Amino acid sequence: MVTVGIVDYRAGNIRSIENALDHLGVRFVAATSPDQFGKLTHIILPGVGAFGYCAQKLQASGMQEALEDWALVQGKPMLGICVGMQLLADVGLEMGEQAGLGWIGGEVTRITTDDPSVRVPHVGWNEVVFDLPFGEIAAGTAADFYFDHSYAFHNPHRGETIATCVHGVPFVAIARRGNLIAAQFHPEKSQTAGLRFLQNFLDLKG
Amino acid sequence: MLKKRLVPKLLIRHRQIGRLTRPVLVTTRQYREIIEVGDPVSQAKIYEAQMADELIVLNINGTTIQEDDALLELIERLASETFMPLAIGGGVRTVDDFALLLERGADKVTINTAALESPELIEAAASRFGAQCVVVSIDYRHLQGLGPMVLKNRAEETTGRHAVEWALEAVSRGAGELVVVDADRDGTGQGLDIETIGEISSRVSVPVVASGGCGLSSHFADGFLKGGAEAVSAGTFFAFRDQNPLQTRSQVRNAGVHIRTVT
Repeated sequence: MVTVGIVDYRAGNIRSIENALDHLGVRFVAATSPDQFGKLTHIILPGVGAFGYCAQKLQASGMQEALEDWALVQGKPMLGICVGMQLLADVGLEMGEQAGLGWIGGEVTRITTDDPSVRVPHVGWNEVVFDLPFGEIAAGTAADFYFDHSYAFHNPHRGETIATCVHGVPFVAIARRGNLIAAQFHPEKSQTAGLRFLQNFLDLKG
Repeated sequence: MLKKRLVPKLLIRHRQIGRLTRPVLVTTRQYREIIEVGDPVSQAKIYEAQMADELIVLNINGTTIQEDDALLELIERLASETFMPLAIGGGVRTVDDFALLLERGADKVTINTAALESPELIEAAASRFGAQCVVVSIDYRHLQGLGPMVLKNRAEETTGRHAVEWALEAVSRGAGELVVVDADRDGTGQGLDIETIGEISSRVSVPVVASGGCGLSSHFADGFLKGGAEAVSAGTFFAFRDQNPLQTRSQVRNAGVHIRTVT
């Protein structure tokens, strides 16, 4: 039976994710300690805030090593959302250069463009194009998801890019390394498309 | 390409029923003439079904949000019963208020009077939660010879500040989005103040949400096409009439605006 742990490290909006999982009829707990991981089948790492702040909070949570074991050694399903995705990069450039976890490589840099009609932060619904399939979602399809960020993920050299999005410049919308999934958008806020994406993550077997 | 957004605005005022405090959806005209519409959660669900892109929820009780349990409960219900982004504001004073609202299910927090009185709140909130979380709402009124001048406390007090100048300061301090409202147009249906919206949106790099005065679907299209707004927000327009976000969306799309049509 699927049981999701939402990593609660005081830097994420976990309630919205709880609400979405509730709607999908899935069991979940707020995970505050690695002791809880044994009962879980899936883990979600949310993140709201500056990159450095979230990285620091995750380190202080005492869960970082257990998460690394979960995702990289055991290869069990884990989903990073928004800053929870960005933390998986090698490096983040928000408020100075900060080291990320490096689990899928790549870097997180500010969205910059010369086009004044391209506003930063990137706020709202934008088209995500799936270059590779993800569960039931076929390659070559596209759907709108909700984004709210100023920094974007590029070049995940230890993972593969499942889907991309363009806001002035192209960036990674979904990256994947085995069962480790990373999404820049907020599936929990993306209505039908978002719930479908979450369901596909929940269908992953660890 | 990023879609333009239609954002219904829910103004919330409490009604006392015996010992029970019940938040009620209301509309206003020029920030006065408050009219009760009904249950905010039911209305939010209808808006979601009609493909609203986001909701703005504003507490107009004059209460401090931390102490307003009825409002916090309402936000929790909105977050658990709809799956779209929520920007919450009204009575937000501190960085802790931001944290509290995000915990209860808000995705973004809007500040208005507090930002004018302590502009450093913008920096503090942006460095803690990221600019994308910090929405500065600017109410203004055109004064003869002075132009669009900023108001505070639900447009009851003048500030002596020019709207464009305040918009630039708010963005330089870290606001990730601006909501720009002409208080005199609020609830009148006479159309948006395209000139001021256009001036602000051409001078800042963050998204601008235009509000105040939408009475026709063409007013929304004007906000996008002539005003350069990333989003248009309306309260009264969607609350009473046969008009709904779904119809408005198709009319706005037909006017040539790049907007979401299917989920």
